[in-house]
Amino acid sequence: MGRRMTVRRYRMPNGLRLICSLDREAPIVAVQTWFGVGSRHERPGATGLAHLFEHLMFGQTEALGPGEFDRLVERTGGESNAATWVDWTHYRLTVPTRDLALALNLEAQRMSQLVLAEAPIEAEREVVMNERRERVEDDVDGSLDEQLMALAFERHPYRWPTIGKMDDIKRVTIDEIREFYRTWYAPNNACLVVVGDFDEAQLLSLTSAAYGELPAAPLPEEPALVEPAQTLQRMIRLPKPIATHRLLVGFKAPSLSHPDWLPLDIAATILAGCSSARLQRRLVIREEAASSVDAQLTPFRDPSLLRIAITCARGHDADEVMRILDEELAALHLDPPSVAEVEKAKAVAETDLWSTLVDVDGKAEALGHHQTVLGDFRTLMDRTRALAQVTPADVARVVHTYLQPGQRTVVIAEPSEPEDTDEDDADDTDGDTDADADADGAVVKGDPQHGPRRGAHSPGARA
Amino acid sequence: MTSELSAIFVEPSDDTPLVWFDISIGGGAADDPEGIEGLHRHAGLLARRGAGRRDRVEMDQTLDALGAAVEVSVSRDALTISGMALSRNLDQVFALACDMLVEPRFEPSEHEQLLRETPQVLDEIRDDDSSLASRWFDSLCAPGHPYSRTSLGTDSSISRIDRDRSLAQWHHEVRADNLVVGLAGDIDDARAHRMAAELAQRVAARGHRPALTSPSFAGLPVAAPRGRRYVLVDKPERTQAQLRMGHLCLGYSHPDIPAMLLAETTFGGMFSSRLMQEIRVKRGWSYGAGCALRRSRKPHWFEIWLAPGAAVAGEAAKLTLDLYADLAARGPTDEEVDFARSYLVGAMPFHSATARQRMQLAVRDAVLGVPPGYTTNLPQLVAQVSAGDVRRACSTHLRPDDIVTVAVSTASLIQDSLPTSDGSLVVVAHDAY
Repeated sequence: MGRRMTVRRYRMPNGLRLICSLDREAPIVAVQTWFGVGSRHERPGATGLAHLFEHLMFGQTEALGPGEFDRLVERTGGESNAATWVDWTHYRLTVPTRDLALALNLEAQRMSQLVLAEAPIEAEREVVMNERRERVEDDVDGSLDEQLMALAFERHPYRWPTIGKMDDIKRVTIDEIREFYRTWYAPNNACLVVVGDFDEAQLLSLTSAAYGELPAAPLPEEPALVEPAQTLQRMIRLPKPIATHRLLVGFKAPSLSHPDWLPLDIAATILAGCSSARLQRRLVIREEAASSVDAQLTPFRDPSLLRIAITCARGHDADEVMRILDEELAALHLDPPSVAEVEKAKAVAETDLWSTLVDVDGKAEALGHHQTVLGDFRTLMDRTRALAQVTPADVARVVHTYLQPGQRTVVIAEPSEPEDTDEDDADDTDGDTDADADADGAVVKGDPQHGPRRGAHSPGARA
Repeated sequence: MTSELSAIFVEPSDDTPLVWFDISIGGGAADDPEGIEGLHRHAGLLARRGAGRRDRVEMDQTLDALGAAVEVSVSRDALTISGMALSRNLDQVFALACDMLVEPRFEPSEHEQLLRETPQVLDEIRDDDSSLASRWFDSLCAPGHPYSRTSLGTDSSISRIDRDRSLAQWHHEVRADNLVVGLAGDIDDARAHRMAAELAQRVAARGHRPALTSPSFAGLPVAAPRGRRYVLVDKPERTQAQLRMGHLCLGYSHPDIPAMLLAETTFGGMFSSRLMQEIRVKRGWSYGAGCALRRSRKPHWFEIWLAPGAAVAGEAAKLTLDLYADLAARGPTDEEVDFARSYLVGAMPFHSATARQRMQLAVRDAVLGVPPGYTTNLPQLVAQVSAGDVRRACSTHLRPDDIVTVAVSTASLIQDSLPTSDGSLVVVAHDAY
């Protein structure tokens, strides 16, 4: 955390957790509410429900008319946003310090008094369908992400897309939406994170006033979700109207809480996570076979994927790039990273960690994420110490454990031949598979599905 | 030659052990010579690929080993070298950035490789509908205007970029009085000013290099195109349309900017704005819908964006044009202006909350040619603007009859639904530019 930051945690009788930390850099305060519900809590046929519901949380409440939530926040100059991913949903309000009470009251109201009427649900359903078109149907990377997760996971809910399948978004009923709200939106399934310039005694008083009367709810027992071990490579090729080949490779990887997660994150950086990374130098600089390469280890509650994304250069194809990737992976197995290479990756990770903690929103998000996914925000504080303890032997061990060809899934987008199109095939984004994936192609995006205001790739949405 | 920097800004904060710096060099994509678009970007990236005693690989290794980053970005008005480092490593990282300024290697092999790489960035843009729509819109909003020049270049202009020309451009523009330097984070004033002074001395010691071309804006004003125009960028297998609409408008230093910011906010700057309410909230037609007056040194675009499904793209375009025409004719209501004013005044602390944000605002103001503190003081100016002032500004500066509409979509899906008049629609292939 910030160098001198003190973080305090409270728990209210109804189960609501409050995490707060002072930051007096500016007279503002970030109020984030993290709910322990995401797309993993959905069922086949109702995918996208958590995300659709997140959109509805900006609507009418028993005390506020339609649109009033946004107007109250915007009148202060404040910002509101939300995001949903596989393990969680979180809502963020950043307001001037003088409006802290307003922010808490708004959050408490929508936690318990949301009005779910048919007309706004239908309008928001259209919005989410358009969001899906923008992020998946018409976006090659979004489409690849969706196919990768659908193919890599056979049983775990990580196999379906957080934004939901189009048919499910169209189908989900108002009764299912109301049931979802009653089931998951309760103080004992939430963590309120407040970071900024505030008086702690006042914060506690306001929180108690806003949330104290909200009843806890019985939360469903979560079944243990065990994904069968993957022993054979899975692959799919998709024709797309793109200029060059793209690949997305996912290796089965441990959960965020697993001791191997951090060493594997270092391995990902060594492979493709910085400008001097092995794949960057080989694929992009030396052989010019790719125009970009990136690696990301997903920070999920359950085991997920280490993802490597590669865009091929003109005149080079996916098969050639896969061959080079295999050679580099073999080299990493045979020639473990040196002390200098590991120290370099640790330096990059340290800077990355600090750079997420430079403002009140970033601090609140880091605290909320660690509390929600790992059950204890203090894991964030331990991060720099744990990072310092990673050794080359640790990295070599996780490379051997996880970066095995039989544990990977490969999704390739290939340029399709130009042809006439008509309305009938415009919606058809599926490709031929040579593996046992969901026929209609599921996705988990590489990034959270953000709420009604924020779009990772779209200038049409406000950040 | 002067050793005085054009400006230096320091924003200390020891909240984290990080320091950020921006070094902005006056002269950006708008100053690329005609036919050699992409020159500034090319020069900046070449400088990042070898300087002083380090080649590209050594620079990358050095920065990664320090956990640092140095990147180059190009706007229409300036080229900026941005760095981030742990405070304990700052001296080495800043020195490397200084090497880029005064001792760039511009190695021929890197020049040739970059010439091969840049067209692939064009491919990536063509694969991304939103980026593609913006690229076409920028080129078509006011043809002939320097801001219509793409920072990336085109396939043909990239092929004309010459290594020696790039180096000469670099040497000409890298002079102390053309540099704006900002540092923020875990650094005190004394250290920051010492580092900036050393930079200025190294730059001054190189001597002055003459300009190769006249400034691009020498020929302004460019006549803005008249009439409504429609360009459909045909791309197969689309399910929606990425729409960009707009026209040439004002520069950031124009005295009507405070009033126009209120107009922008009421129309498409908030969730409660007209565009978002009509397009998204009432009809669900698009995930996002907004507008912005581009902040630039010279007159730039007023731009609207939305991404409706293909089935409603025509209706969405027509409604947007109607809403815009209404804004120009009648302006926002008193209530809308009051609300937007409250939003803009209240929002400033969020835009200047961190040391890095404050530094970047100061550097940007200097690049855009407005007085120091202009942006952070805008709330006071906005507070003095009346609803009548906003309506007058809308009437004067918004030109709904001279809008260009760019749509990236599958032509067969939306062509007949666009609200075009005869002959005003042009269909182009998505990879034609």
